[in-house]
Amino acid sequence: MNLINKDVVIIGGGPAGLAAAVLLYKNGIKDILIIEREKTLGGILRQCIHDGFGLTRFKEQLSGPEYAQRFIDQVEELNISYQIDTTVLNITDDKMIQAVNRNGLFNYKAKAIILAMGCRERTRGALTIPGERPAGIMTAGVAQSYINLHNIMVGKDVIILGSGDIGLIMARRFTLEGAKVKGVFEILPYPSGLTRNIEQCLNDYNIPLYLSHTITNIHGNARITGVTVSKVDENLKPIPGTEKLYTCDTLILSVGLIPENELSLDAGVKLDNRTRGPVVDGNYQTSVEGIFAAGNVLHVHDLVDFVSIEAERLAYSVTEYIKNNSLPKCEIIINTSKDINYTVPQYIDKTKDFTLSFRVKRPFKNCRILVKQGELVIKIAAYKKVIPAEMINILINHKSLQSDKDLEVSIEC
Amino acid sequence: MLKEYTCIICPNGCEISVEMQGEEIIKLEGSLCDRGDKYIKQEIINPQRNIASSVLLENGVLPLASVRLTNPIPKSIIFNVMEEIKKTRLKAPVYVGQVAIQNILNLDSDVIVTKNIASKK
Amino acid sequence: MTTKYDILIIGAGVIGSAVARELSRYDLKICVLEKNPDVCCETSGRNSAVIHGGFAYEIGTKKAECCVEGCLEFDKIAEELDVPFKRTGKVLVGSTREDHESLQKTIEIGRANGSIGLELIDKNRLLELVPTVIGEFAMFSPKSGIVDPFQYNIALAENAKKNGVDFYFEHEVVNIYRKTDEYWLIRTIQGDFETRWVVNCAGLGSVKISGMLGIHGYNLGGSKGDYIVLDKRIGHLLPMPVYPVPTTTYMGIHVTPTIGGNVIVGPNADYVDDYTYYGVTQKNIVFLAENAFALWPHIHKSDYIRNYSGIQPKWLDRQGILEDFVIEAPKEVPNTINLVGIESPGLTSALPIARRVVNLLKEHEQLHPNKGFNPKRKGIIRFNNQGNEVKEKLIAENPDYGEIICRCEGVTKAEIVQAIHNPLGVDTVTGIKYRTRSMMGRCQGGYCQMRIAQIIQEELNKNVTDIIYSRKESNMFVGTVRE
Repeated sequence: MNLINKDVVIIGGGPAGLAAAVLLYKNGIKDILIIEREKTLGGILRQCIHDGFGLTRFKEQLSGPEYAQRFIDQVEELNISYQIDTTVLNITDDKMIQAVNRNGLFNYKAKAIILAMGCRERTRGALTIPGERPAGIMTAGVAQSYINLHNIMVGKDVIILGSGDIGLIMARRFTLEGAKVKGVFEILPYPSGLTRNIEQCLNDYNIPLYLSHTITNIHGNARITGVTVSKVDENLKPIPGTEKLYTCDTLILSVGLIPENELSLDAGVKLDNRTRGPVVDGNYQTSVEGIFAAGNVLHVHDLVDFVSIEAERLAYSVTEYIKNNSLPKCEIIINTSKDINYTVPQYIDKTKDFTLSFRVKRPFKNCRILVKQGELVIKIAAYKKVIPAEMINILINHKSLQSDKDLEVSIEC
Repeated sequence: MLKEYTCIICPNGCEISVEMQGEEIIKLEGSLCDRGDKYIKQEIINPQRNIASSVLLENGVLPLASVRLTNPIPKSIIFNVMEEIKKTRLKAPVYVGQVAIQNILNLDSDVIVTKNIASKK
Repeated sequence: MTTKYDILIIGAGVIGSAVARELSRYDLKICVLEKNPDVCCETSGRNSAVIHGGFAYEIGTKKAECCVEGCLEFDKIAEELDVPFKRTGKVLVGSTREDHESLQKTIEIGRANGSIGLELIDKNRLLELVPTVIGEFAMFSPKSGIVDPFQYNIALAENAKKNGVDFYFEHEVVNIYRKTDEYWLIRTIQGDFETRWVVNCAGLGSVKISGMLGIHGYNLGGSKGDYIVLDKRIGHLLPMPVYPVPTTTYMGIHVTPTIGGNVIVGPNADYVDDYTYYGVTQKNIVFLAENAFALWPHIHKSDYIRNYSGIQPKWLDRQGILEDFVIEAPKEVPNTINLVGIESPGLTSALPIARRVVNLLKEHEQLHPNKGFNPKRKGIIRFNNQGNEVKEKLIAENPDYGEIICRCEGVTKAEIVQAIHNPLGVDTVTGIKYRTRSMMGRCQGGYCQMRIAQIIQEELNKNVTDIIYSRKESNMFVGTVRE
């Protein structure tokens, strides 16, 4: 068996993989390989042709492909190795990687693996939306791919379930291409996506947003003909008697993203069931030594700028890991109060500064986020408004930690 | 008259309330920076938007070239701009930043390609 | 000029396809008319995919006979036709005294029917076989198994086609007349056919077709069952189908591993008379999960990837009592072979039923062997199931094997292309799904469906607006974004 040794193998050539690769190389780790299953680098950004990327990173409003190109250009300039049109078939806990492409099977042994596979979309089957299963039902990302990459128009008379960002972006995209978007239905009492997307994608085009509604039936034998929508109560259960029929020829589902960790599970990586991504420490190292994760595969992001930053933090750690063959053990657990969904990382150590990334479970106004270690308050951050749709990142100076006690992140108003 | 706006300039999404008297702005509060103030004033007078779309690409490894505007244009003309974009064709290869339509509808905004796409072999 | 056939089979489900395959052993001009765009669109592809042991049917019935015959020969069939099949065994799990008595009766019936190896097992043995089940004792049926129902139906049809049978899809039969003493005239929505014999394998439509043939007196009841499909990740927790002790009218909420590695939970049984509605209700999903959880506590919403439903065509007599398979060549209406009420265990019984059809024909005609008949059929090689050496070889011969299209199930471009160019000429997206397993994984086509649509366009030179999802007129797209 032909086995190739590599210092670092990066699985995924999207924004996380690219940013990590570039910084690793600049830090002197040059024996890198990026493995990407698409025919070009860039990941999901290739189909995100709208702008809003790079505001923090480059102080510019770029489209997804342009943002990706900034990193791809650096990968090319630095001559970082990559394989495209190549799928990783499996990885093991001793960092063996098997991949396949049109030229055959490839086997690598890496000192470090960076998981950067991104995420997949939650499906209708996972949601158990009742009713028929005709053509014309797809997730928002699939519709986006058809329209932006394949030059295929999927429908003319659209209903969108879920006010997640991708659904909102597609509401606008459909409208600009001449389709009629009848409405966006959201089961929660507040939108799942960014406020500015509600403004620019729905309000701009008078597309109604119905909060506290969900789809309770799908109609149509060959192609979808309509949906039944019901109001929901405070427990998110449909209220009988509130059913209303909306005709449509297309149903777009934008009901959540799930980190794509099938390969991670193969390698025995432990997942956090709140994020559905790997449990990581302050070095972005997973439960398997030498396997690291960043980007959407770790937890679903809303701004790609933060994906790049996270991947770069990871790259510093991987650099240290390759150079020293080990990393300091992280044993301080980060706990969360009931209003905080999760934190990444889940463990840290006292030796270096770290960024806590997390989301709140519901919207809050005029609140303070507290990071405490026992009774000691290590950090306070005040916000006028926080919503689940927007990830919060708080930088913690390691010197403010006084002991080895666990930390707690909570919110107070 | 009190009007509420959500600023879209940055992720903060500040909720800005504007007190109007007729066409004049008397008070503006809620923004964390003056980009927000500028945006709201523009929103009131003549809302501007940037849009992204696709142009048919001939002989490329992809059938469409993604494009966007270099500067925002009046919201009211979005669909006129779309009509022009729909009529346009490009030949591969195309590059990021390449101008697909110069000064579209005289709006002081170009339509540029946002993706490198090679020609079909 | 209408096309003249010796035998015209109505329905390309597993029964019609099995009949076609068995009849193709003889020198006859045969065709199959199917109303859907592919085989296996109705009951044949909407069931538990179990090869049953034959103990659940009354002694002496055709159901019992055909089931046992089909079960015992299935290794040979699976090999001949290259169909994924595993003789996993099955347990019927009980915990009460009534259950115990019922199981003892079941074993007696099963043995009388010819089922092999049935035994009552205690809790220890039960937990050895299925460590994850909840129960006190069980009946173990070692000969029961699981099969890929789509591949089985497709294989039968492809083998029939290879041996000379014509298949006509989207040819719903709208009327049947006697044209001459020798020939029937079959009117479909796409033209007329003439045939000397008609074989009614129309499943849910069998009573309608019987009526058109002039055979009256049958009454169908539709029994709709819903199923939940669970992620492959937990497949290893269920080594064989686990059923609760059954009643005489229905099987109970089972949990069944699929040959693809998933677990299916179901079915329930709702009486229906609309045979076109396959929607699944929220109520049923909740009911299935709650019920089955008591038997196998590994059913979690986070593992749901899909649900589906199927309708069993049950023949009920005038008192509403469930009847046996009807496999007849009625004297009152000569030159017909009529199959009604082919519900469970129809899948297991398909070839035994087909042989009985052949025997009925033989009672009326001399049949001469088809000298070119080849019983073997080879399906598409699954790259994902091969060892590294075979994988390397496949890629070296055809680089399309190195391009993974469906990540969740590991399906390559070579397989997709072969599926697109299938012997039956089916070109729906679902047709490709059933021939390759693509789109059947946890992302449900989220990653691969766009690529598959693109490959269909390229391989068949199809317009985007002509790509069909599954049923007739289920067009996936309305046009291009830019002309």
